[in-house]
Amino acid sequence: MSLLEGFRFRRKRTPLHSLDPRVKFMIAIDYTILSLWFIEVIPLFMILLSTLVLVIIAKSLGEWKRTMKGILPFLLLIFGINFISIGEDRLNYSLSMTLRFASLTSAFSVFFLTTTPDELALAMESSGIPRDYSLMFTMALRFVPTLSRDLQIIMDALKSRGFELEKGNVVARLRNYAYILVPLIIYEIRRSLMIAEALEARGYGATRKVDSPYKLAMRRKDYTVLTLSTTMTILILTSKIVGALPPWIYLKLPEPL
Amino acid sequence: MELEALSFKYSGEERLALNNVSLRAKAGEYILLTGPSGCGKSTLARVLIGLIPHFYSGELNGKAIVAGYDIMRTPTYVLAKHVGLVFQDPENQLFLSNVEREIAFGLENIGLSAREIGRRVMKTMKELNIYHLKDKAPYELSGGQQQKVAIASVLAMEPEILILDEPTANLDPRSADEILGLIHSLVREKGILAILIEHRLELAAKYVSRIIIMNEGSIIADGDPRNVLLNPKANIIGVPNVVTLSRRMCETGIKLNKIPLTPHEFVSAVRSLVKNYERSYRS
Amino acid sequence: MREAIEVKDLYFSYNGEKFVLRGINMSVRKGEVVAIMGENGAGKTTLIKHFNGLLKPLKGYVRVLGKDTKEESVATLSRYVGMVFQNPDHQLFGETVEKEVEFALRNLGFEDDVVKRRVKWALKLMELDEYRDRSPYTLSVGEKKRLTIASVLAYDPEIIVMDEPTAGQDALQKEKIAEIGKLLKHRKKTVIIVTHDVEFVARRVDRVILMADGQVIAEGDKRDVLTDLELLDKARLIPPQIPHIAWLLNKEGLIDNYKVIHVDELVRILVNLMK
Repeated sequence: MSLLEGFRFRRKRTPLHSLDPRVKFMIAIDYTILSLWFIEVIPLFMILLSTLVLVIIAKSLGEWKRTMKGILPFLLLIFGINFISIGEDRLNYSLSMTLRFASLTSAFSVFFLTTTPDELALAMESSGIPRDYSLMFTMALRFVPTLSRDLQIIMDALKSRGFELEKGNVVARLRNYAYILVPLIIYEIRRSLMIAEALEARGYGATRKVDSPYKLAMRRKDYTVLTLSTTMTILILTSKIVGALPPWIYLKLPEPL
Repeated sequence: MELEALSFKYSGEERLALNNVSLRAKAGEYILLTGPSGCGKSTLARVLIGLIPHFYSGELNGKAIVAGYDIMRTPTYVLAKHVGLVFQDPENQLFLSNVEREIAFGLENIGLSAREIGRRVMKTMKELNIYHLKDKAPYELSGGQQQKVAIASVLAMEPEILILDEPTANLDPRSADEILGLIHSLVREKGILAILIEHRLELAAKYVSRIIIMNEGSIIADGDPRNVLLNPKANIIGVPNVVTLSRRMCETGIKLNKIPLTPHEFVSAVRSLVKNYERSYRS
Repeated sequence: MREAIEVKDLYFSYNGEKFVLRGINMSVRKGEVVAIMGENGAGKTTLIKHFNGLLKPLKGYVRVLGKDTKEESVATLSRYVGMVFQNPDHQLFGETVEKEVEFALRNLGFEDDVVKRRVKWALKLMELDEYRDRSPYTLSVGEKKRLTIASVLAYDPEIIVMDEPTAGQDALQKEKIAEIGKLLKHRKKTVIIVTHDVEFVARRVDRVILMADGQVIAEGDKRDVLTDLELLDKARLIPPQIPHIAWLLNKEGLIDNYKVIHVDELVRILVNLMK
């Protein structure tokens, strides 16, 4: 699953890694707004390039490249479908849609690459989401490696009984996956009961209001970056409205006939 | 804790999981609770923290007073402040992606102040020697380390009673021994009551002060480890080889002054026996 | 060919960075009962996964009944190597106990009448006959364990590998597993048990292979390996009590022979000593 490589946290020491996760999330949101705001090819390309700058600052070029390679089929699909179905300006439009998707993936990839699962949990808890929900999300993330290990063991056990997963036509293969899913689902349901029991034994449910010493606190650096990125985003948005952008932004590629 | 004529049947089942169990235990005891699979030991553990009857449904009869609370009338989250339960699989007891926050989790639940939480977390990590693991996620830890973190998370709540349900099942012998010895020092230093559910008697017997054997929902033996292990009723459990050896020697007429629970104890006993023989031979 | 399994210079890594197996050399003769021992993380499970081709060597080779595992599929190798994993809940694939035991037989293409016969035999052997039509998930832990063994024995592979069969089992269950081991030996099967249960190994095994840090640090007759306390220490294992006692008595100069494994032997030696 090399596609997911660009979303898995790695412990590194970079300015981005030490930034408050809420600020990083806001940056990803800013990128989302900007990518949706522009339909022209050149601005979208510049947006994508700027995410690459962030990736380099985060020293995560390798993981990022793997994800970009992984989403290549999706990019081609988006380009292809748009190219076929759109009438006017098909090349530019298809390119824009492709770039948009790539930028979104890239921006969120930066967020996930530089944020620990734990910081994600803290970010949620510090942002006003009820504890029950943020805990649910945190635990779901925490158990992903566990689930993937269980899946591997079940597949190994199946194969050891002479079972061939990749045999047969599409229908047969789908049925084959049932042999994996049934034990996996039952196993994980059992697991969740045991987790629920352990949660009870840890006093969960005693209080709603929790006084935690691990709340996230914004430092000056975090405020600075947040202010900068918000300001820049607003500037770019408004300059399009008031028409203050240079004309070459609106240049289009020549359309094939 | 005091249990009297305790009986329990899980809903939907016909047989009694607990059959007229009576038991008293006080602080400072390190009790080994053992018996064949299905004998009711895990059920008993769950009663002591109130998971039965509040989490598992069924019919619970009799009296159960634990840490001064009536189990049947006290919710689990109140009992959790006084009774800590460590389960078999550490994987299912570590909920967060960070050891330090995991240890704090229970403390946050019971509503302590941030300052108190910080203090207790630091203290517990230092006591169990896991400070160096504080930023790790569960998948970065070995089985033994995970179990230590689980124990730390429960100990941080400073319960008077600590129950461990087969905590070493997935551990290799060295890690298992480390955990069992750790509990022994905790009992000695903090004066808590520890109840250990375990099959591996050859590792556990030497640490505990009392052994209780259960079978089919009832307690069939309860007392000093050296006596209980010699009781013929102990045949259904895995009596350590050193005890079997001593018993056989007794049968051939060679009596050791005390039933040994470890190889070293056995050899000491043999050594003193040999010295006695030599002394009487000389005289 | 006397070798059931031959491993030469085996190197393996999961992620390309750290080597979990570093130059393993070992073999298992047909009909032997061998224990592969070591602490968690020594590489035991990784090693046995090479025996049915679930993992392929990065360097070196593994030959099962003469076949190179790099050139065979898991399905083919499974015909000869039955693998029982540690946790029964990961290995339940049938709607009923009967279908569960049938599973491997059907995958491997056995004829209907053979399937029926073998299933009946395996169920009877593991005392699971009465649960034939029940869902595997309604069985107790001990029964599920017997079921996974039955499912593998049913198709009668020549080599049977068990990963930690006694983990979490009570004394009676361990006895049952020991009986199964005896039965397999009687039928001249090759049995490989991965375990750190030294007491179990002391009773039921011919040869012991010790692993530590991805390497084989010793192998030999169980009487030689289990009584060598220094070796067991290197493998981070706690010695079985009887050899431990014998070793201590030997150190004190009280007895000569310290290669003692069974309670009876030691009783005899001590009775003689007292005389």
